[in-house]
Amino acid sequence: MLQHAIEDIKLEDIKQPNIKPKEIKKALKMAVMSLFSASAYAADNPWQVETSGLLYSESDSRVSAVEPVVSARKEFADEHYLNLKLVVDALTGATPSGALPSNSVQTFTRPSGNGSYIIQPGELPLDNTFHDTRVALSANWEQPLSDRLRGQTGVNFSQEYDFTSLGVSGNLARDFNDRNTTLSAGINLENDWIKPEGDIPTPFAAMQPEGAVQARGDSSDSKTVVDFLFGVTQVINARTVMQLSYSISQADGYLTDPFKILSVVDDATGDLVTTDAYRFENRPDKRSKQSLYWQTNYRLDRDRISFSYRYFWDDWDIKSHTLDLSYRWNFAENQFIEPELRYYQQTQAEFYEPLLLASDLLNDTLPEFASADQRLAEFNAVTVGVKYQRQLANNQHWNARLAMYQQSGEGSPDGVFGSNAQFDLFPSLTAVIAQVGYGFEW
Amino acid sequence: MGLNGNALHINQCAGGLVGRFRAMGCPCEIVLYGQPADLKPAMQQAYQCVVQLEQKYSRYVEGNMVARINAGQRVEVDSETVHLLEFAQRCYQLSDGLFDITSGVLRNLWRFTKDASVPNIEAIVGLLPLIGWQKVDWQPPYIQLRPGMQIDLGGIVKEYAVDQVAQHIESTPLSGFLINLGGDIYVEQQDLSYPAWRIGIERPDAGPVITLEIRRGGVATSGATHRYLWHQGKRYGHILNPKTGWPLEDAPQSITVASNTCTEAGLWSTLAMLQGIHAEAFLAENSVQSWCYR
Amino acid sequence: MKKSLALWLCLLSLSACSNMGVKSWDRNLLAKPDMALNDDPITNAFNEHIYFSKEASSGGRGFGGGGCGCN
Repeated sequence: MLQHAIEDIKLEDIKQPNIKPKEIKKALKMAVMSLFSASAYAADNPWQVETSGLLYSESDSRVSAVEPVVSARKEFADEHYLNLKLVVDALTGATPSGALPSNSVQTFTRPSGNGSYIIQPGELPLDNTFHDTRVALSANWEQPLSDRLRGQTGVNFSQEYDFTSLGVSGNLARDFNDRNTTLSAGINLENDWIKPEGDIPTPFAAMQPEGAVQARGDSSDSKTVVDFLFGVTQVINARTVMQLSYSISQADGYLTDPFKILSVVDDATGDLVTTDAYRFENRPDKRSKQSLYWQTNYRLDRDRISFSYRYFWDDWDIKSHTLDLSYRWNFAENQFIEPELRYYQQTQAEFYEPLLLASDLLNDTLPEFASADQRLAEFNAVTVGVKYQRQLANNQHWNARLAMYQQSGEGSPDGVFGSNAQFDLFPSLTAVIAQVGYGFEW
Repeated sequence: MGLNGNALHINQCAGGLVGRFRAMGCPCEIVLYGQPADLKPAMQQAYQCVVQLEQKYSRYVEGNMVARINAGQRVEVDSETVHLLEFAQRCYQLSDGLFDITSGVLRNLWRFTKDASVPNIEAIVGLLPLIGWQKVDWQPPYIQLRPGMQIDLGGIVKEYAVDQVAQHIESTPLSGFLINLGGDIYVEQQDLSYPAWRIGIERPDAGPVITLEIRRGGVATSGATHRYLWHQGKRYGHILNPKTGWPLEDAPQSITVASNTCTEAGLWSTLAMLQGIHAEAFLAENSVQSWCYR
Repeated sequence: MKKSLALWLCLLSLSACSNMGVKSWDRNLLAKPDMALNDDPITNAFNEHIYFSKEASSGGRGFGGGGCGCN
């Protein structure tokens, strides 16, 4: 009888259309907001602003950089965010040019062709011409696209004296398993334009003395980079979350460093040849990079451990391992200290050559690609650092970080012989990293 | 001054003031931290705010706005009541009709004590025509009920009161406060030199107490651990389905939610409770910080 | 060989994923800000820029925030 009675009772038209379960969170928040319409609860969300300054300084008067950053984030509607970032990057100092040290004084021409610099006997040639200021702007928008799907899109722009970069990116992330699993896929497209002072050097052309006509090609060139990133984030248990990502990147275009050179040496003695001793380097115009990245965050009752490993490989024959470990020590409710440790190791590019042989130039048997850029050599590097942060009232905080980076390579790599064997071609590079930051709401 | 002699009792505590009183049928507690000179007036202000809301919306006060509405008169309500009734209507829509402030008449039939019995089926069916928000003549700011219908704002007003009190005392320079009206809570403690508020999550079983550490936000609990009855070997909770007149099946014993405000927390816990067997899934789907006990 | 092994690891981990996880009420620790996988985007961006200009590898965690002429 009860059943019969229930069927008789029909719901009359509900005054507004039915709300789909997916929109319930938004609808609920709006309902509560309307209830307190003239109140602080309906207040506009503030901008979350982070300002920070990085100081990077290498030993032995090599590179120094100062990099102030301002970044801001604001929620415009439920889970709709705008992120903006401005970076200014001022670089000074000297970097190895790729040429070998010598027992005699060496003179190199500056890239513009209107000047030269002198390197003393036994010194590793460092080119201090490059000092530049870069300004970079990026904007990124993220929002939910449906109940469990989030999207992001962004644009990046960067400008320095001889280099312009413009890029766009997009990303989708989908939750599964009660939001315990997230799959994401992203794409990044970037185009860079290089307009080096003194124009693009002809590969393996000889560096001419100051004032003479340099062998040059176009005044500018460009490259395009396409990146794909696929990731899965998984909650393992109440204390553990992991991320596994795979990324693949394809670069096409001008990938050579227009300022790097190689020394030409005599086949027998290893001494520098007497004329046209310095040649501009040449790299392939394609590069395909891939990496696998795995990160684990583990939460203790008070502190947090974070560990990550990246394996990288590309078609220039470079393979690298990166291990990162940090321990956040939340020793007080509003402060923490976080020591960090990073170990990095890479193999050399297949066209890495510390020098060129005179006979190869004479007989036109030079390799197609060659570079003596230390960044393409085999080396390992360690970073040790510590970060401190303090929370203040009104959602403000300040932080500071101090770290040391040290690179150690092969002082006498394969291919070095004769008079060059006495030199350390890869002196230990040590750099201090210091950072201070302040975050607030506006 | 208070309802039925439920006066405000104020005591000192380390760094602040604690005010206790009874209102809305439950024990209430307000803790304020800050400069001593500011605290006493703020405490009085908070107490008055709760008392006034109770006077206005309690079913037990003769001649108040709710009483006139329940008498079947056509009543022009004030703007605060417009907001509350619009909110109640929204809850009705969001819950697909399961949350309904006109379902209070069923209370006359169901008694949730251990030895009570299930009411007569004909009596339940007889009440169903008097239930249903869609039958209310609501053209803001005018409301009129059909003869025999009743509205009960008890399910909304307590959490609303918590957030209203918070709003009132927010203008006072306090370093932190806690408002607890019978388990519906809102706290703030933005001063990092003080510890965060620790709120124990009530649970019907004998498990260890879970403590929530919270610096800003509201906590509300749906369901009570002791109001139910047994019938033919089955335990019936006290949340009634307004469409059938019967208690909801397979609802959790209690759901506690922590959210930005007490009203939001209360709405989540109520809506979740109304999902019955799907309560936990509903909360997980919406990433609501919650604790369900069956 | 290494590449296909890596891809298999990915697929395996995905299928194992559906049984793992926690209920919404157990997310207490996971919700702490230091458990975010990228809990300090500014420091991570500084580091990525330094390592991009001093080393041959890049990327992994996410996309770079834009090119620079430093490599």
